[in-house]
Amino acid sequence: MSPEALERELDQLHSAAFGWALACCAGDRPAAEDALQASYLKILDGRARFDGRASFRTWLFAVVRYTAAGLRRRAALRRWLPLAALEARSDGRPDPVAALAGEEATRRLTTALATLPRRQREVLHLVFYQDLTIAEATEIAGVSLGTARTHYERGKAALRKLLGKEPE
Amino acid sequence: MTEHNDHDLEQRFEALRRAQFGVAPSFRATLSAARARRAATARHRPVGLVAAAAVIASVAIAVLIIRRKLPNDLATVRLNTPTDFLLALPNEELLRTVPELGRVTITLDRRTP
Repeated sequence: MSPEALERELDQLHSAAFGWALACCAGDRPAAEDALQASYLKILDGRARFDGRASFRTWLFAVVRYTAAGLRRRAALRRWLPLAALEARSDGRPDPVAALAGEEATRRLTTALATLPRRQREVLHLVFYQDLTIAEATEIAGVSLGTARTHYERGKAALRKLLGKEPE
Repeated sequence: MTEHNDHDLEQRFEALRRAQFGVAPSFRATLSAARARRAATARHRPVGLVAAAAVIASVAIAVLIIRRKLPNDLATVRLNTPTDFLLALPNEELLRTVPELGRVTITLDRRTP
């Protein structure tokens, strides 16, 4: 795939990929932007190559998930090293995702999702937000179908409980 | 793909998706930020390499200094404990020497040292 074609594909999926990056980073917008930027660089530099075995979206989401996990590990390592002074500081602009807190339902959902275990959050996001099947979600989340189903059911039950609703 | 009784969750996620799509940074801005970050990383790479080399050199020097302070040959260090005599055997030279035919090199001593 040529760089121009890659950019076109990325552009088309950008909003969905941003939502997925937010889910991978538990709603942390700066972390999600970092993960997305690093993923795009990996793809455009050829360090991550699309081989056509899955759909482009499935592959892109897997790259974002893998990259976010790597950044999360590095952030955890930095917390143990005395490098905090070298970290980039926030630019002071208001966080648009935090601004969504004004919408009560959205705020409750993001808060509830952030408290779910990561796997459950990822599977629920892929199915409900990205409208993928559980089978497609398994390719991105890197788990078996049975495991994904378990995360899906447990995640739904936990989410309903957190949102204060009884299962139908 | 969701089940029929999941409409409540579907609606909530749909609202979240609409809200997040509205605040997502543009693709061009994300790409520009990524390229700027790559350029910044490339500028800082020599500094990082020098820092890593300095750390490795300091560790190597510290290891050399510590090793120099240790005795070179541990065999030259003999530890004597108060109970060493319990391990001494009469004529224990027999256990450490090779006998030669026609030549007596040791004298048997039946007393415990």
